[in-house]
Amino acid sequence: MASAMRIISSRTIARQAIIAACFLLSGGASALDFSTIDWQLHGFASQGFTYTTSNQVFGASRRGSLDFTELGVNGSVRLLPNLLFSAQGLYRNAGGSDREDFRLDFAQVDYNVTLFDSSLTLGVRAGRVKIPFGLYNDTRDVVWTRPSVILPQSIYFDTLALRQAMIAADGGLLYSRYNWGDHRFNLEFMVADPQDDTGDATDFLTGIPDAPGTMEGRPLFLGRAVYEWMGGRARAMFSVVDLERDFRSNMSAIPSGSVRALYPLFSLQYNEERWSLTAEYGWIDTRRSGFTPVPLENTSEGFYVQGEYRLTEDWSAVLRYDVFHADRDDRSGRSLAEQTGQARHRFYARDLAVGVRWEFVRNWLIAAEYHNVDGTAWLSPRDNSDLLQGGGDPHWDLFSLMLSFRF
Amino acid sequence: MAAEPSPKIYAADGHADSLSPETLREIFFMRLTSWPDGTPIRVFVLPDKHPLHNRFSKEVLGVYPFQLRAAWDRLVFSGTGLIPHVVETVGEMRERVRATPGGIGYVDK
Repeated sequence: MASAMRIISSRTIARQAIIAACFLLSGGASALDFSTIDWQLHGFASQGFTYTTSNQVFGASRRGSLDFTELGVNGSVRLLPNLLFSAQGLYRNAGGSDREDFRLDFAQVDYNVTLFDSSLTLGVRAGRVKIPFGLYNDTRDVVWTRPSVILPQSIYFDTLALRQAMIAADGGLLYSRYNWGDHRFNLEFMVADPQDDTGDATDFLTGIPDAPGTMEGRPLFLGRAVYEWMGGRARAMFSVVDLERDFRSNMSAIPSGSVRALYPLFSLQYNEERWSLTAEYGWIDTRRSGFTPVPLENTSEGFYVQGEYRLTEDWSAVLRYDVFHADRDDRSGRSLAEQTGQARHRFYARDLAVGVRWEFVRNWLIAAEYHNVDGTAWLSPRDNSDLLQGGGDPHWDLFSLMLSFRF
Repeated sequence: MAAEPSPKIYAADGHADSLSPETLREIFFMRLTSWPDGTPIRVFVLPDKHPLHNRFSKEVLGVYPFQLRAAWDRLVFSGTGLIPHVVETVGEMRERVRATPGGIGYVDK
């Protein structure tokens, strides 16, 4: 019921945006001139192979898993220079942590106006829109746009079920861009209904396994401020997500409750011809009330530092250290382990990763990487059922290989 | 060693006559999408590894080719913009730009 209503409301928003756009345009263009319409079709297909020495990532990886597939096709139609419609269909398989197969990734309309000798752009985007969070979130399922096969999991959860609520949402966003010489400022503000009834996101947010019920309540708010120098030579960003959702249980034994999460993220990047340096730091402040006699509050923490080196035009290498703490006041996990009866290594993860990629023909790449991980905090309980019974290996290695084609 | 000719902006309809480096960057990053007369801007580029594309990126736009590619990839896969048409040779660049209303690209002299 809730999901049906959600679809209607997002459609209504999209329809209103289209009507508003047409209204705005009707003054300037009395009839559509087809010679001004441009369209493009693009896509990608990526297949990964994952091997772990212990624990499982993207399927049964201890034996070597091919359960990591990402396929997408998108189309964009520019009806007028400042009016763009676009949509992308996505198929994704990532073992136990993604069992949704095909999905509508985005379907949106974008309209903008430029002012002051085109130094200022104001725009609106509505429909199912990608969530513009941090450096990589809005295109994170495309290996071409991320630095490694597996993104830093402290910030971009792919194995944990919060992922689904972070990818795309139904609603709209306002954006502005301002250019001043070599400096560029972007502001985005989004109001949207997250997809938190899919992909186990409800379980993750409530902390209840197989949570029987639905998420509702006010839409998520997101803001992102970006400063760029010289077309992105240097880049600094601040993003923040504010989520407040109510869980309506449909089983009398399980209480309803509400979840409040605030996720600020700071991002820095510097690019030279041969190398790039990147760092992001964020934390998630969570408050769950109604599920337990006393509300549970927690603040996690994630950060990474990453260097990329372009050896030639076709070869590049990446080195990264990525850290996640489930509770930043308990980085060793000791008191969380005592409270929950789970192993200490469930509450942190430190991942040292090194990788190479090779674009061996135009639009074809192969990427390989090795991760040495201490801790199991970001592993999927779907792929690692023994984790909930106190199992799991705190020290493990991961090897990942991905072949990708794009057009 | 003889100096190679510098990359030069090439556009149909006299659109490129007085474009500032900032405006050119907005155009080639696909953020500015129409000319002052309302014609859509259609951008043409050479392949990422072409020496002229490399020089154009660095000397005219002040960016590295991988920055352009990264920005275009973000546009395509978040559905927030169109990306340039890739042509294989400077000759093809001239032909396509000349034949396309609102076209812009670059040539070597």
